[in-house]
Amino acid sequence: MIKYQRPLIIIFILSLGLAWIYVSANGSTKSDLTPAPQQGFFAPDFELQTTEGEMVKLSDLRGQAVLVNLWATWCPPCRAEMPVMDKIYNEYKDQGLVVLAVNMTYQDTASNIAPFIDEYGLTFPVLLDETDSVGSTYQLRSLPSSFFIDRDGVINEVVIGGPMAEALLRTRVEEILK
Amino acid sequence: MIEALRSLFAPPRHFILLVAAMWIGLVLAERRTQHHGLTKDQLNNITFYSLIGFVIGGRVLFALTNLSAFSQSPLSIFSPNPDLFDPTSALVAAILVGLIYGQRQKLPLWGTLDAITPILAIIAIGLSLAHLAAGTAFGSQTDLPWGIDLWNATRHPTQIYELLTSLLIFSWLWLRKTVSPPGMLFVTFTALTAGSRLFLEAFHGDSTLIFGEYRLAQIMAWIILAAALGMSEKLRRKAN
Repeated sequence: MIKYQRPLIIIFILSLGLAWIYVSANGSTKSDLTPAPQQGFFAPDFELQTTEGEMVKLSDLRGQAVLVNLWATWCPPCRAEMPVMDKIYNEYKDQGLVVLAVNMTYQDTASNIAPFIDEYGLTFPVLLDETDSVGSTYQLRSLPSSFFIDRDGVINEVVIGGPMAEALLRTRVEEILK
Repeated sequence: MIEALRSLFAPPRHFILLVAAMWIGLVLAERRTQHHGLTKDQLNNITFYSLIGFVIGGRVLFALTNLSAFSQSPLSIFSPNPDLFDPTSALVAAILVGLIYGQRQKLPLWGTLDAITPILAIIAIGLSLAHLAAGTAFGSQTDLPWGIDLWNATRHPTQIYELLTSLLIFSWLWLRKTVSPPGMLFVTFTALTAGSRLFLEAFHGDSTLIFGEYRLAQIMAWIILAAALGMSEKLRRKAN
C-alpha cells in the first residue's frame, strides 16, 4: 500500500485541481466590466472642447478606432512623439483612425498650446482639459499616456510614458483598426 | 499603503520592482550556489547571459512578428520603449541561452535549476508587487470586506494573494533543512507555484477563457503541476 501512497496522493491533488478548474469556470471576467482606464475595459467617456472651439465627445466616435493621447507642452517625451503621431494619423485616418490629443491644460500654460500646434504642424484635433476631468477619470500618473481604443470602445492597449516609437504606434493602431 | 505603492511605482516605474527582485534573488542564490555544485561565477554568468537573451530575444521576436511595421521604421528596434517586447518569446530565448551556456560549461542540469530557484522565487514576489503597482492581474468584483478599490469597482486583491503565496513559497523553500536529491528544490518550487496559480486564477477578473468558459491560465498551471509532481516522484525514486 505504501508503494502506491505517493502516486495516489498525486492523483488526488490533480483530480482536485481539475474539479477546481470546473468549479471556477464561467467566472467573472472582462464581460462584467465597467468603464475604466485599463486594457480590456470600456474607455471612460468624456466631452471636451478643441482649440478650434468644437466640442468632441468620445462616445460619439464609436465605430472608429481612437487614440487618446494625454500630453502637455512642457513634457519632452510628449513633444518628441507628436511628429510620429501626426504621421501615423495622416496615414491611417482614411481607414477610420481618430487621434484625440488631450492637453492637460490645468497643468500647462494655455498660451503655449497654439504656437506648439503651429510649430509641429499638427493636423489632428487638440482637446483642452482645463479642469482635470479627463486627467482624473483616466487616473493619469505619467505624461505622456496613450490609450488605444478599438471600434467597440474597448481599450486595447495602454502605453504609459514615451516617446512612442513609430513601429509601436503602427502595430497598436493596426490592432485597433481590425 | 497600496495607494502609496501604486503612486511610487506607477508604470513604467514598476519595472524597478522586477529589477530589484532579480538583484535580491541573485544575491540570495549566490549564498547557496555551492550546495548545488556551481560556483558564484557560473551562477552569475548563466543569469547574465539568460538576461541578455531575454532582452534581445523579446525585442527581436517582437520585431519579426511585426515585420511590416519595423520595415517602415527599422530604427524602432533600438527604441527604449518597453512596450515593443514579446515576454513569451523573451522567456523562451532566455531558457535557450541558459541551456546553451549550461551545456557548453558542462553544468549539472538539476543542480543549476536548484541554484537559480531562489532567483525565480524572488522574481515571483517582485512580479506580484509590480502587478499591484500597475493594477494589472486584477481580481474579479467582490463584496468581501478585504476587497480593494481598483478600476472603478471593489475587487479581489489578487495581487496581494499572489504576494502572500509567493512569500510563503520562498520562505518554505529557503528555510527547509532536509537535503533533497538534485532537482527537487526546483521541481517543488514549480509545483507550488503552479498549484497556487491554479487556485488563485479563479479570483482573477482578467482571465483569458478557452472553450467558452475555462480559464487558460488554470489549464496551463494544471499541466505544469502534473509534470512537476510526476518529475518529483521520478527524482525521489531515482534517489532511493
